[in-house]
Amino acid sequence: MKHNTIKMDIRGQICPSCLLLALKEVNANIEAIKRGESEIRILSDDRHATATIPDAIMKMGISTSVEKTDEGFEIRIFDEG
Amino acid sequence: MENPYLIILVTSSLCGLLAGFIMHRSDFCVTGMFRDLFLFRDAFMLRVLGVLIVVSMLLFELALLGGAISHHPFPLLGTPSLANIIGGFFFGVGMVLAGGCVVGTLYKMGSGSVVSIIAFVGLLAGSALYAEFHPWWGAFAKATSLTDGAVTLPQLLALPSYALTLPMALFGGVYLWRHYRRGELTRSTLLPGSIQPWQAALVLALLGFASYLFVGMPLGITTSYAKLGASVEALFAPEHVASLGYFTAMPLNYTPPLASTAITGGAGPQLDAVAAIQYPLVVGITLGAMISALLLRELRFHYRVPVSHYVSALLGGCVLGFAARMVPGCNIWHLWGGVPILAMQSLLFLLGLLPGSWLGSKLLTRYVINSK
Repeated sequence: MKHNTIKMDIRGQICPSCLLLALKEVNANIEAIKRGESEIRILSDDRHATATIPDAIMKMGISTSVEKTDEGFEIRIFDEG
Repeated sequence: MENPYLIILVTSSLCGLLAGFIMHRSDFCVTGMFRDLFLFRDAFMLRVLGVLIVVSMLLFELALLGGAISHHPFPLLGTPSLANIIGGFFFGVGMVLAGGCVVGTLYKMGSGSVVSIIAFVGLLAGSALYAEFHPWWGAFAKATSLTDGAVTLPQLLALPSYALTLPMALFGGVYLWRHYRRGELTRSTLLPGSIQPWQAALVLALLGFASYLFVGMPLGITTSYAKLGASVEALFAPEHVASLGYFTAMPLNYTPPLASTAITGGAGPQLDAVAAIQYPLVVGITLGAMISALLLRELRFHYRVPVSHYVSALLGGCVLGFAARMVPGCNIWHLWGGVPILAMQSLLFLLGLLPGSWLGSKLLTRYVINSK
């Protein structure tokens, strides 16, 4: 099975555009994410997004994780299957 | 006390620094509270705002009953008029497009948002521009005044304020407690260094209370935006600034708590009571957020965002600044200060703010953010 990682760099943007852009990408790839074939990695420097994106995504039954890196926050959106 | 300004400067500086720090750590975005209700059907942060209002209502009323508050209703609040609701509407549109309210813009700017710096420029321009229209708008506000002199709802109904505020705070408290028990007041994911928004609401309510006790009124900053705007304008056109009634009037005239002499202030460029109360808040909130971001090693300035975001921030900031003078007052002043004492200006402002935020959200998703 081919695993596809979709990367988004939305540094500089603040809410609500972070959440809107994340939801747009998730909705476009929802089936692949749920099958475990795709995951989304968002690079953001907006602290707010690290709360709002996981909150909204988890309500859709999809897993998320947040990691602080030197460049900002990496928010992973994936399905554990 | 010999110098009435000292306690004001100290209180406002500390309140500003702490508020900026707390708002950055909890992302206490009042704009988001209203916007996300319409954009995502999410009322989580509005409930958090409820915590702030209910706690402030209780604190203000108990302090009033205990004789600790010297000015009730506090200075600068006037009788309600249609200007409050119309101003509130445009305020809602402006804050959503600007990406933050008059205070949110400050803490976001302090933590490195370049878009918010542009919104700040718009805010100054909009606030100063209002002075040109003030004679006309002031007359409209006077002509559409809704009461003969009553400022608060209890005054209108000829009731002691506690007869309304205490039951309201009780019902609000029970309602929020039930949400809290169900986990609906707590964020499920929180980064190290972040503060739960409901805890931030408690601290911000205490800061507003401290300001009411020691400055004589809760937190408010928008007159100083007009003042800053006027100061910039006066560099280029001093005669014109001096000729505008809005900049020469001194609507603030009161004796602060713990002081023996009255102090005055207005929106003109001079350093007066308004400057003493509000400039330390503006600087403090920005600096507090910057300190918070620095301590987390997260202070970065990113400017590569779509141009539409800058245009929206600049135009939204202008509308927001202009509307804050139309109301008059900002969301912090009215929602954290006026609503807790049931000031009718503040209740009307809130009534206008809701449809304004709705329209702002529609404009944002249609023209600014490409989310479809």
